[in-house]
Amino acid sequence: MPRMKFLCDSDRCIECNACVTACKNEHEVPWGINRRRVVTLNDGRPGERSISMACMHCTDAPCAAVCPVSCFYTTADAIVLHDKDLCIGCGYCFYACPFGAPQYPKVGNFGGRGKMDKCTYCAGGPQQDNTGVEYIQYGSNRIAEGKLPLCAEMCSTKALLAGDGDIIASIYKERVQRRGYGSGAWGWRTAYKADVTA
Amino acid sequence: MMRALFAALLALPLLAGGALAQPAPSVRGAISAEEMELQRMLQGGRIEGRVSIPDRQSASLVQPAGKEWRDFHNRTLAWVGGVAVLGILAALAGFLGLKGRIRIAGGASGRTITRFSLLERANHWMVASSFIVLGLTGLNLTFGRHLLLPLLGPETFTAISIAGKYAHNYLAFPFTLGIVVMLVLWVRDNIPNARDIDWLRKGGGFLGLGHPEAARFNAGQKVVFWITVLGGGAVAVSGYVLIFPFAVTDIAGMQLAHMVHGIIAVLMIAAMLAHIYIGSIGMEGAFDAMGSGQVDYNWAKEHHGLWVQDVAKGHRAPPPGDARAYGAD
Amino acid sequence: MLIKRAEAQAARRRLSSTYDGLSAGGFDRRAFLRSAGIGGMGLATLGTLAPGRARASGAATGVLDHARPVTRVKNMCTHCSVGCSVIAEVQEGVWVGQEPAWESPINRGTHCAKGAAVRELVHGDRRLKYPMKLVNGQWQRIGWDTALDEIAAKLGEIRGRAGPDSVFWLGSAKFTNEAAYLYRKLAAFWGTNTVDHQARICHSTTVAGVANTWGYGAQTNSYNDIRNAKTMIIMGGNPAEAHPVSLQHVLSGKEIQRANLIVIDPRFTRTAAHATEYVRLRPGTDIPLIWGMLWHIFQNGWEDREFIRQRVHGMEEIRAEVAKWVPDEVERVTGVPGAQLRRVAQMFATQKPATLIWCMGATQKTVGTANVRAYSILLLATGNVGSAGTGANIFRGHCNVQGATDMGLDVTTTSGYYGLDENAWRHWARVWGVEYEWLLSRFGSKALMEMPGIPTTRWFDAVLMPGEAEKKDSDGQAFVGQPHSLKAMMVFGHGGNTVTRMPEMVKGLEKLELLVVADPHPTTFSMISGRRDGTYLLPICTSFEMDGSRTASNRSLQWGAKVVEPIFESRNDYDVIHALARRLGFADRMFRDIEVKDGTVVAESVLREMNRGLWSIGYTGQSPDRLKLHMANQQHFDLVTLRGKPGTPVAGDYYGLPWPCWGTPEMKHPGTHILYDTSMHVKEGGGTFRARFGVERNGQTLLAEGSYSKGSEIQDGYPEFTVAVLKRLGWFDDLTAAEKASLERHFGANIDRAAWHTDLSGGIIRVAMEHGCVPYGNAKARAVAWNLPDPVPVHREPIYTARPDLMAKYPTLPDRRGFRMPHLGQSVQARSATVAKDFPIILTSGRLVEYEGGGEETRSNKWLAELQQDMFVEINPADAAERGIRDGGWVWVSGPESQARTRVKALVTERVAKGVAFMPFHFGGWMQGEDRRRHYPAGTDPIVLGESVNTVTTYGYDPVTFMQETKVTLCQIRSA
Repeated sequence: MPRMKFLCDSDRCIECNACVTACKNEHEVPWGINRRRVVTLNDGRPGERSISMACMHCTDAPCAAVCPVSCFYTTADAIVLHDKDLCIGCGYCFYACPFGAPQYPKVGNFGGRGKMDKCTYCAGGPQQDNTGVEYIQYGSNRIAEGKLPLCAEMCSTKALLAGDGDIIASIYKERVQRRGYGSGAWGWRTAYKADVTA
Repeated sequence: MMRALFAALLALPLLAGGALAQPAPSVRGAISAEEMELQRMLQGGRIEGRVSIPDRQSASLVQPAGKEWRDFHNRTLAWVGGVAVLGILAALAGFLGLKGRIRIAGGASGRTITRFSLLERANHWMVASSFIVLGLTGLNLTFGRHLLLPLLGPETFTAISIAGKYAHNYLAFPFTLGIVVMLVLWVRDNIPNARDIDWLRKGGGFLGLGHPEAARFNAGQKVVFWITVLGGGAVAVSGYVLIFPFAVTDIAGMQLAHMVHGIIAVLMIAAMLAHIYIGSIGMEGAFDAMGSGQVDYNWAKEHHGLWVQDVAKGHRAPPPGDARAYGAD
Repeated sequence: MLIKRAEAQAARRRLSSTYDGLSAGGFDRRAFLRSAGIGGMGLATLGTLAPGRARASGAATGVLDHARPVTRVKNMCTHCSVGCSVIAEVQEGVWVGQEPAWESPINRGTHCAKGAAVRELVHGDRRLKYPMKLVNGQWQRIGWDTALDEIAAKLGEIRGRAGPDSVFWLGSAKFTNEAAYLYRKLAAFWGTNTVDHQARICHSTTVAGVANTWGYGAQTNSYNDIRNAKTMIIMGGNPAEAHPVSLQHVLSGKEIQRANLIVIDPRFTRTAAHATEYVRLRPGTDIPLIWGMLWHIFQNGWEDREFIRQRVHGMEEIRAEVAKWVPDEVERVTGVPGAQLRRVAQMFATQKPATLIWCMGATQKTVGTANVRAYSILLLATGNVGSAGTGANIFRGHCNVQGATDMGLDVTTTSGYYGLDENAWRHWARVWGVEYEWLLSRFGSKALMEMPGIPTTRWFDAVLMPGEAEKKDSDGQAFVGQPHSLKAMMVFGHGGNTVTRMPEMVKGLEKLELLVVADPHPTTFSMISGRRDGTYLLPICTSFEMDGSRTASNRSLQWGAKVVEPIFESRNDYDVIHALARRLGFADRMFRDIEVKDGTVVAESVLREMNRGLWSIGYTGQSPDRLKLHMANQQHFDLVTLRGKPGTPVAGDYYGLPWPCWGTPEMKHPGTHILYDTSMHVKEGGGTFRARFGVERNGQTLLAEGSYSKGSEIQDGYPEFTVAVLKRLGWFDDLTAAEKASLERHFGANIDRAAWHTDLSGGIIRVAMEHGCVPYGNAKARAVAWNLPDPVPVHREPIYTARPDLMAKYPTLPDRRGFRMPHLGQSVQARSATVAKDFPIILTSGRLVEYEGGGEETRSNKWLAELQQDMFVEINPADAAERGIRDGGWVWVSGPESQARTRVKALVTERVAKGVAFMPFHFGGWMQGEDRRRHYPAGTDPIVLGESVNTVTTYGYDPVTFMQETKVTLCQIRSA
């Protein structure tokens, strides 16, 4: 079985935010919910790097570990999804998530949280694949159509890679060897307890 | 050979990067992502940058503290809560088995004295009832998954948990109000003094070391009062931080608030279990104080002799909210 | 402390009031579906769609229904000039999804933030929905016919009173080629040369500078070809934000070739973050820096002597100027240390092929043309032109700014750079099938017909100043060089906040008798002034809602197919131009050879007419059929050479038939991937420098010496081809009888003067190519352009300079006139000495990745607007600390003219050096602290509004093109 991962090559990422709007476009993500975002480290200084970040679909996902209602599940492709019908919007996954992935619509009392929303790796949710109900709750399901997440597919410089972890790691390693530099895969140590130093 | 050389070359900047005090590399490629993540994880620091969206939280790329919070929530809090709650229940059960119910030594006199006014009682029960719901719904977030979910199934459990979440959020307000009113009503009688030391030394009379003198509130009750006011206050403050996400603090603050909230809450639950015990089945005549507000005269003399004297001498104004105490004959 | 919290809340409230609608259902289709249920009435029930536009329910919700068939339509992104293909999934007339266009050799499936969000443009909740008219300060809905009738009547009335030159026709780089061509034709038939578009304010100086150097004003190579470079300099450009997909090629090249990527910019941009070497220079000192590099190159003999000998004219004069720029002086003026510059110069000259990439940092300057010339000279001196991996890779701005420029939306020329002289007009009269005399009768006079019009950078001055017939003696030079001032402005697809000196522009707007804004969105023009009447808004659809071709920066033409019908009541440019021409009384003439089916102009037939006339730049081989074949076979083109692979339907062709694509479509010229490439046969896309400036000067030949394109029968330089030249060479009889007949029919007795670019049969071109010769001749590039104000580029301090001490040695040009307008240089610069004290910070401006141009379209796109919610100024931490400014706080940025000031947020960052500030130029809707949101027609206000940087930008124009100065002015910043 493939093990789906994201890898952002920060030597390629230019903070063009295509991943962000592609995600919005594909899933009609509402204003204020950012399933994906681009963070720039060392802004304006030598060594500046931008990294596109979303749910990394961790091995031993912290969100799943702390969820009081156990609404998370991991698919056969190792994609971490959750069931919005079970989510109670408590926010625990946000405290535990190392990447700030969980997002909450402000619909609850006192501007509190609604049901959590996060990157689905374009794999929808527990509803039947590519149905209207699934789209309404989770957005589209490209994985079921045999496609990969649109953010990575549309990445302007092909910095953001998505797909089987071994394959994208080898693409990255090949790149690093060819060009002679590479600052590594952000989030991999935290998410997968792995690194891809070539 | 080439590969080894390459690895050595690659390792060099890594070492250099590792030696930097500030992990802000000045040279491209001087420090790898994995290395930086590891360093930050070891230091508990966040990796932060700049984002254009106005959501400050999203500027944090990796926050290793999430792992500590997870450990706290899944291990520390579960253990502390479990041990505290089960421990106190076991201790009380043991005490009850060993000593039985504490009776009024002189028997019921048949005459009563007003111990708590309507306002005091209403306020107490507002706090008590909201606390019970808050406690149960709070415990549900930590233990429900293991205890209730297998029994109820996911849909029912979620329905209950959502109701619990709303209850928890809304009842926070009456609970807080009640704590404030309690403080105003009872702080005068709960200021610790020398007699409390004596009372404590004698174990409050429970241990058969003689019954110590006490005024309106004995040291044990004062402890309960201060646990309620201070603990409740802390739980309330940390709770409001959590109800309004990121209104006053960032993710680190939220995690800290949650830790404070969780730990104090489970300890309070344990303390309040003892309080409930002594106020109900643990001691004859005690419940009436908060039930009808009228306590038996003999019970009052045994446990709060100085207060009874005060009331009798009229040194003391009747409790507020009541026209007049009629226990003073 | 408390005040700041309240402030934060106020800011949140302000935005939340705008985006309330976004998450509450009105705009969020998922939320809407939640409340309405699948298969409900869809968007039509929102009341925003005209009934006729709502297609089948269900799909009209904008959600892909997997149970029903989906059509995939290919068009191109309408934002920058890279030319990314967009694949739209359409279901029952509604654009429901966007898929990566993997097969496009340009973007290979990828997009930037804008491209990945284009679907929202045609959902268009904030689009202009129907024609509107300003009546006593209130917007009123009117019908199309009423609007056009009233506009045409008013135009006619103004024409009768003040002549055709009193109307300013502002076109668009967002037009398709066909629309741009029609618009230029419309202006010609109306009788004026005052027709302009965004190229004036982006790359007009590039076009002038480059064309004056080697012949054509365009990118010499392509985005893809950058993959071949071993050294790249990006100078005055930030493609990571302005052309993100180009970085795919730049970074791949950098990696595969292990190339040097040198970024020279005053600002540490997102591009600079990926550089192997970053050079920070003082804004406005490009020429000293280039001369400083050349000083090292000449000093060390790194120049390409053979290339210079064969193909460059006048390099000795450059040497003389460069000799003055010793490292110390370069460092004094530019701030760049000599050692770094030596390193960069050595890399560029010796690690070849090397390419120079530039954008508006080079062009939007009072010395823009000279900058571009200096850049070109650097390329010539190092032999880095005309081969793979080299060249002037000029990244243009809008999706079709190259095409619109080629179509002559320019006050100095007719379509195809034919110019404005009688020969040009006679050529177009022949192509259009109208009599030259009739065309002449449309203009105010023959002199006005051959005189450049008023450019978009100065139109408001031309409104405010009197014409020659109106002026008084006291006006001095402050008059417009035509009988009457401008009275009316027709704006198609052009933002109103893109030109400097906005406070003056607002005055100009208020004085106009008629203002027509034809655009998908009501632009800043429509709401920034105090106009109360005489203003019309016409809803025009986007290029996704029409067919047509567009030319990417690399000169490749791509055919875009209509994705959906124009939404709401919007119409496409062709039909509006046609409807207007009809009412102005010349539609029958103008559309004589163009097919109009049921009142709808057929885009293909417009392109065919263009193919019949645009010989000069080789827009003749790109028939609609060939372009469509390319779009259908994108996967068969090589990623690096852009050449169609053997055995495919497009074998041998370069992708998009990059111009020049010589001769008729039937000649099957493959297009020209790399200009001036002598290693290729002309029939395979080879070329030479263009013989455009005569054959001899001061006894020196201007023709190439010993250099010629592969397979050329003339193995030396040669002039451009005319019938006379053919006869001299004995090749005249190679022309077919039909070709000869065409020449005789059109030229009669003057047949000898018929040239390759005026021969409507294409015969001269065909014969020249048969003999391996390039139709336009084989000349030397000009290091010295004697027709320009500075034949050899020299450093001139900006008009508003932070270094008044350098003004005496490097003054700007003296006051002069041009483009019918006075042009003050030195007299305004003289103020610098006094204002620099009060305005100590250099202000520069540029792009953000999320927005484009004036920004109305992109700021109305909720997916983009969310990413940049506030106008800001980048300020160095040291400057911020001196002023008590904190990151995210409000500041006033004030400029030295018109007491202008803007209220923006501070972004404290080391991207800018101390003493330099940067502001993006996409914001509008605020004016000097006033939020003017209520002045938009209801429901059409962009989500995000903000101050325009051009409120505080100042006077200053390039002498050759009247390009505005947006990159160097002065400002002061104070905490608000």
